[in-house]
Amino acid sequence: MFMEKPPVIQVEELSREYQMGESIVQALRGVSFQVQKGDFVALMGPSGSGKSTLMHLLGCLDTPSAGTYRLNGQDVSRLSKRQMALVRNQQIGFVFQTFNLLPRLNAMANVKMPLLYRGRNSRVDEQAREALSWVGIANRAQHRPSELSGGQRQRVAIARALVTNPAIILADEPTGNLDSRTGAEIMQLLSQLNQKPIARNGETPQPRTIILVTHDPQVAQYAHRILHMQDGEITND
Amino acid sequence: MTLFNTILSALGGIAGNRLRATLTTLGIVIGVASVITMLALGNGARSAVEANFRHLGSDSVLVRVKDKIDQGEIVPVGKILSYEEGLQMPKEVALVKWVSMTIGGEGKIRHERNVLDMLVTGTTAEGILNIVSQQQVQPINWPDGIPFSEEVFLDRGRFFTPAEVVSNARVCVLGHKTATDLYEGDDPIEKVVWVNRQRCLVIGVFVELEVTNPALRNQIRPNESFYMPISTAIENLFDDEPSVEITARISDEGQMAQARKDITNYLRERHEIALNEEGDYEDDFDLTTRQEILGAQQAAARTFSFLLAAMAIVSLVVGGIGIMNVMLVSVMERTREIGIRLAVGAGQRDIILQFLFEAVLISAVGGVFGIAVGVLAIPFVANFNEGVALLAPASIPLAFGVALLTGLLFGLYPAARAASLDPIEALRHE
Repeated sequence: MFMEKPPVIQVEELSREYQMGESIVQALRGVSFQVQKGDFVALMGPSGSGKSTLMHLLGCLDTPSAGTYRLNGQDVSRLSKRQMALVRNQQIGFVFQTFNLLPRLNAMANVKMPLLYRGRNSRVDEQAREALSWVGIANRAQHRPSELSGGQRQRVAIARALVTNPAIILADEPTGNLDSRTGAEIMQLLSQLNQKPIARNGETPQPRTIILVTHDPQVAQYAHRILHMQDGEITND
Repeated sequence: MTLFNTILSALGGIAGNRLRATLTTLGIVIGVASVITMLALGNGARSAVEANFRHLGSDSVLVRVKDKIDQGEIVPVGKILSYEEGLQMPKEVALVKWVSMTIGGEGKIRHERNVLDMLVTGTTAEGILNIVSQQQVQPINWPDGIPFSEEVFLDRGRFFTPAEVVSNARVCVLGHKTATDLYEGDDPIEKVVWVNRQRCLVIGVFVELEVTNPALRNQIRPNESFYMPISTAIENLFDDEPSVEITARISDEGQMAQARKDITNYLRERHEIALNEEGDYEDDFDLTTRQEILGAQQAAARTFSFLLAAMAIVSLVVGGIGIMNVMLVSVMERTREIGIRLAVGAGQRDIILQFLFEAVLISAVGGVFGIAVGVLAIPFVANFNEGVALLAPASIPLAFGVALLTGLLFGLYPAARAASLDPIEALRHE
């Protein structure tokens, strides 16, 4: 089965170093792994272990110092800023700990935003509504984030992440700002997203690949596979 | 991102802080309004210059005496320019077809108990022709486009004839208000009026006149006038023979340069001006043509306009710095928003455009209001400039364009700064 499809994520000897004043900090020391399509992977590790750095590299928010990163077969480790923006827009959906919704915009407008950066598209409203109803808050479409509860905000953020039909969804501590019950609901939503993808335009439903960054073992349990990190290396797969 | 959505997000950004956007807009409003009013002042000045010299035809040479100030009095530098010299000019200079002459002096005008101290104008018989052809004034409520003749300028009676000018006839023509002030509604024709204790017969009264050029409205009062034959005026108003102003009509417009030379030679001979040690003539008179006056005065008016416009531009630049300041603060405050937009796939171009549109929108709105304020303010600034201020039509697109450009230029740096933010840093920003 693994031989049929190429891995969604193919990371080889990926490293990232930062200049901190005089010294150079090795945040990531030659990490290699693969993630198959439809997988649900949790990245765990203490703070400073390099999981955030890896997350930024996987999200095309940052470029590696060395090594290669293939996303859907395309080498995205040496792209220009413009090309990286394009990859983020088309292949990646982000879910953040602090939701990161625009406070001035209502839920609908927040979900539409990534589609608007794609250029002309007459089905923007329809797709955004679809995503909102999939996360179960279609009735809150006209509310601003300040008028929504934490759980509802995170649902809007998930709708925004999946509205572009991305290859991977990167969730960075998605339950970190939620109480445990709401957190569990959000995690169930994410596993559902992973297991029962939405059919769209009559296409065959694509299993959604999810990378989850967390330090909470309970949250990590929802994943099929856990990568432990320490000192910029993967210690346990 | 489409243009429409870029504008929408720019509008959203402005709506996010209305007070600040309003205050910033105010800076542009003031800048644009001052551009409009300053250019109106310059335009008014230029238009007034043009109107003042319209009567000097392109076939005419204006001859005036050179004056100097001696012990607080204005006196000729050499000999006076006499009435006699004017009379002789057409005979002595072949290219001069005819001359008209004017002189002005203070006179005490009396009829029974009514006394007026006013400017008395002495002219040749062409005096009324000059008034008509200058087109500075017209009969009140005169319909546009219909040309007027000498007759319609006179309410009653007639203007004086060349014969009356030559014979120092004691006759005069009154302005409409002057006639009313002196005769209180009675018909003044053929009545006696006293000019500096000398008898004079009223032979004509002007109709009520209005000033055609708004730039001159507060400068001339056409209805307060008193005209006499120039010869009579010289006799009545002056102890010593005064200088007159001579307008010489040249028979052939193509020979203006030659005519100028001939008139100069004629006057040098009369005034006994010879070459001095340096090989120059020290003329005590000035010759001017329409081209020279218009050229010199317009150059002065243009310099004035440029100065005013420069001042106005400075205030626009101050407004622009206001925009830059506000946009920089806005970029800082919205760092996180920029991070989010970058994360979901906005390109640097999208971010630049969004913030640039915000700056341009602020300046465009400021431009529209500034134009309105500027146009409305013109009558008020005119009060400080003897009523000389005229909206320059080109100043509206100019001011608006400069406002947009200001927004664009001063918005560019903050927008570029927003677009160059690192998405990771921006997302971490509190």
